[in-house]
Amino acid sequence: MSTLTPQRTAAEPAAPGARTPRRRPRGRAELHPVVWVFVIAVMGFSLIPFYWLVNTSLKKGVSLSQGELFPSQPTFENYAAVFQNAEFLLALRNSVIIAVVTTTVALVLASFAAYALARLKMRRKALILTLVLSVTTFPAIAIAAPLFSIWREIGLYDTLLGLIIPKLTFALPLAIYTLTSFFKEIPRELEESAYMDGATPFTAFRKVILPLAVPGLATTAILVFISVWNEFLLAVTLTTSPEARPVPVAIAFFSGTSEFDQPLGTISAASVIITIPLVVLVLLCQKRIVSGMTAGAVKG
Amino acid sequence: MTLEKEANQAKEPLVDLIRPSSPSQEDTTAASVLSARKSATGSASRRRTRITAAAAAAMAAGLLLTACGGGAATQGTEAPAADPASAANATGSLNVCGGKDASGIYKGTVEAFTKANGKVTAKYTEIGATTDEARTQAVQRLEGKSSECDIFVTDVIWTSEFASQGWILDQTELVEASKDRFIPSTVETAKYEDKYWASPFFTNAGLVYYQKDKVAKPETWQQLYAEAAGAEGDSFVYQGKQYEGLTVNFLEMLYSAGGEVLDENGEVKIDSPETREVLDFMVQGLKDGAADRAVLTYNEDPARLAYESGNFGYQRNWPHVYRLLNATPLAGTFGVAPLPAWEGGKASGVLGGWNLAISAHSANQAGAVAFIDFATTPDWQKHVAMDFSQAPVNEAAYADPEVLAKMPFATELLASVKGAKPRPISPVYPQISQAIYKNVYAVLSGTATTENAVKTMAEELTAAKASF
Amino acid sequence: MATKFLSPGRRGTSRGVSGRDREERRLAFRMTAPSLVLMALVAAVPIGYALWLSLNQYSVRTAGLSRFVGLDNYVAALTGTHWWAAFGQTFLFAGLSVSLELVLGTAMALLLNLAFKGRALLRTVVLLPYAVVTVVSAITWETMFQPNLGLVTNVLSTLGLPGGDVVWLGEHGYAMAVIVLADVWKTTPFAALIILAGLQVISAETYEAAELDGASKWQAFLYVTLPLLRPAIVLAAIFRTMDALRVFDLPFVLTRGANGTESMSMLAYTELRENRLVGEGSALSILTFLTVMVVSVVYIRFAGGNIREVAKEEQ
Repeated sequence: MSTLTPQRTAAEPAAPGARTPRRRPRGRAELHPVVWVFVIAVMGFSLIPFYWLVNTSLKKGVSLSQGELFPSQPTFENYAAVFQNAEFLLALRNSVIIAVVTTTVALVLASFAAYALARLKMRRKALILTLVLSVTTFPAIAIAAPLFSIWREIGLYDTLLGLIIPKLTFALPLAIYTLTSFFKEIPRELEESAYMDGATPFTAFRKVILPLAVPGLATTAILVFISVWNEFLLAVTLTTSPEARPVPVAIAFFSGTSEFDQPLGTISAASVIITIPLVVLVLLCQKRIVSGMTAGAVKG
Repeated sequence: MTLEKEANQAKEPLVDLIRPSSPSQEDTTAASVLSARKSATGSASRRRTRITAAAAAAMAAGLLLTACGGGAATQGTEAPAADPASAANATGSLNVCGGKDASGIYKGTVEAFTKANGKVTAKYTEIGATTDEARTQAVQRLEGKSSECDIFVTDVIWTSEFASQGWILDQTELVEASKDRFIPSTVETAKYEDKYWASPFFTNAGLVYYQKDKVAKPETWQQLYAEAAGAEGDSFVYQGKQYEGLTVNFLEMLYSAGGEVLDENGEVKIDSPETREVLDFMVQGLKDGAADRAVLTYNEDPARLAYESGNFGYQRNWPHVYRLLNATPLAGTFGVAPLPAWEGGKASGVLGGWNLAISAHSANQAGAVAFIDFATTPDWQKHVAMDFSQAPVNEAAYADPEVLAKMPFATELLASVKGAKPRPISPVYPQISQAIYKNVYAVLSGTATTENAVKTMAEELTAAKASF
Repeated sequence: MATKFLSPGRRGTSRGVSGRDREERRLAFRMTAPSLVLMALVAAVPIGYALWLSLNQYSVRTAGLSRFVGLDNYVAALTGTHWWAAFGQTFLFAGLSVSLELVLGTAMALLLNLAFKGRALLRTVVLLPYAVVTVVSAITWETMFQPNLGLVTNVLSTLGLPGGDVVWLGEHGYAMAVIVLADVWKTTPFAALIILAGLQVISAETYEAAELDGASKWQAFLYVTLPLLRPAIVLAAIFRTMDALRVFDLPFVLTRGANGTESMSMLAYTELRENRLVGEGSALSILTFLTVMVVSVVYIRFAGGNIREVAKEEQ
């Protein structure tokens, strides 16, 4: 993403603060009361189950069975336990590597493919689109087992690369579709003027389309990152050691006192912890999503 | 048998086709990667495109054959057996694989073994977070002839399946040699077609926890249900979600009522008055409030959590709950009893627990035998109870003063274990269990009548038994 | 669209038409090839393998025994009751959850697109559910609806509202409601993000024009925003429907398929993994795959959006 930033500013020199006046005439902080009700309702709906998760993460032992709406004796022991768990920290590292690499590569490959589909002359686009889609419509359980045997055979089993490759594959269709749809919305006029200046289609893609597509790329990045981050089935099938295990699997391996009990408190604490990288990601990409107006502005 | 031989013959050419293609596979992979890279950087001429496509196709074909090769295995009719004498000379490393090590017993045992043995270095690998997942992962490794794991910690209900597929070594000699170590009912869980395929490691049996201040000790199921229906806050919680646990809960009653699923010859016997009696009894219990309707959503943990709230009189659960209950305000107010008897019948139960099976693809069978020998010694079995709160498979351990100090309900537990029976023994056990729990659930939740459910159950069991 | 008029002109500007054309096609090929090759290698092989498995039966009693049965596994699935029950239940789930997600997602996207104080907070908050690992979100919803102990049941009975004493996951209808709700909670942000991206390419001038024409805000939304949002909504619908039709984790954790919640993927899972009926299970996987595929193609064909425009560009 960061490599794209300078290009964007080159194409759209306005400083972030200067964008506000160009936005729709509806000003800041003038929401209709009814809209506020909606905002609060949406926040409530999103937050209540999350609150329950946080609530559970602050409980220990018998208070887990009391169903209290507020923990009477909140404790951070669960969080402490999670951070003292070396395997969890290892898993956190694995997940970050896997998600970052997969997202980056997926964005590069998918933006190539999406540009070709959205802009270039090509035969059998419908067929290609259908094939791309078919990759994600297959039930994951039917794919996991054959991949397991193949991966063992070629030495990719229980490695980070062995997780990145299939996750990348299954992230690509979403990325390709989103970006194709997004590229399609970018006005052609801009490329046309680039062509006039003698640019090749690839240069037009790099210098014109990509900078304009930053909001689409950011949105796609978030979607891909989160789906890769949360994926469980492939992760559990294709890894066996803590050295390769990503977070969702590591959480599943948290132990209670027997095979029958789920350590609800620590699982919840870990779940809260692992949303933090995603919140950071969202906050980072925020500006990029917001900058969607740049595309609109240029179009007008 | 004849069918199987035919199949093997038919399979032979396929296997021959597969084997030679495997070694060249890495080359193919490298070639395709190389040419793919070239085509991406250089100018993409038509020819190169075709080469890439061809290489990719070759790789795909190679992978496909590899994948198929894993599944289509030929198997000798006589399973290889573990040799008890081999343990003495065991060396090298040993990998024990199984589910999540919640109580620490697996890691504890491999460490103690490594220390005691001196020549074999054992480690434990968690291959699945849940019992279902552990089985899936074990099956994947076994089907793929992986030598990663030497020993699999197997749920007692997996024995027939693993044995029938030739995935694990015949342990008959091993078990026979140390049979006096085991409580007889526990060895039965390792038996399939008159041979032993695993050694019991630790066992498990259901218990009833009850609030001494509110309700009486359960002697019969009828008495328990009557007491539980008596007052609000006295009711009974058990595992009634649609899953394996419901099969266990139902069979505990069915066995004590004298019913059975399959007889000694493997004939389906579920369509019986006993089955109807037990189902009607359970339904009536839900109706008159003896059992809370919420049990329809409970597996072990939610049942325990519900009971810990103090709003119930009885709970059916496993022994691990004892320690957890003692950490709550309920400590000292509850009693532990073996499963009650059916009125006019006897007490019975269903065995849980875990066995140790040796992978047929283990590269260190001698080490595996040594490990099993260590894990089942009467001395280590005491540690199983003392250090990890699991139910030993050795009877003497239950009377040991040290064990009794840590596990005061050991006498009740032993009674439950000795009275318990295995679940139906069949290579298609998962289908059998589904036929049971889905239909029992349908009756409990009110979507099927007892009569219809029993008929369907019998049909589905017969169909499962007839599986190819 | 403008593109149709512009493309020929561009082609004319440089070298010969055919030369430029060929070069462009070559570039297009090179740009799509890496993705396609990767997908073919990683996904096509297992799918092809499953297709082969589905034409056979593998013995669960005798090791290594198998027989070719042609389409028998499919016939058995399609003539039995289990597949069709799961089929109906999955479509019910998908229909309910996806339509709720699209409506809520559009509303969320509109809110997220407004400029007001606290928008950054709203954006983050709204995305939180999507960030929670599916299995954990399933456990959270399970405990929220647990009788006596759960947040929802507790609040409902404290307020004296109906539903407080219902065993939600133990009743037909209620169980499906919880599963739909859990899915809507978790994946509405996905739809909202995609729709938001679509919303942002609509220029302010479009609205100004509408407002000059005297359109009310509601009219502007109905006749200006919504049609322009169609590509984004269709895109969100395609991916949400595909996911919803393959739903597995939620019913698996919450009900194990009881009370009319068994999905197609769960059925395939049971046969493949639990029962190791590899042929039968693979046939169910392929049937699920085909069902989802047909639905997606129908979407692209009839719901339109710019993906359809792309698909129609046969050149």
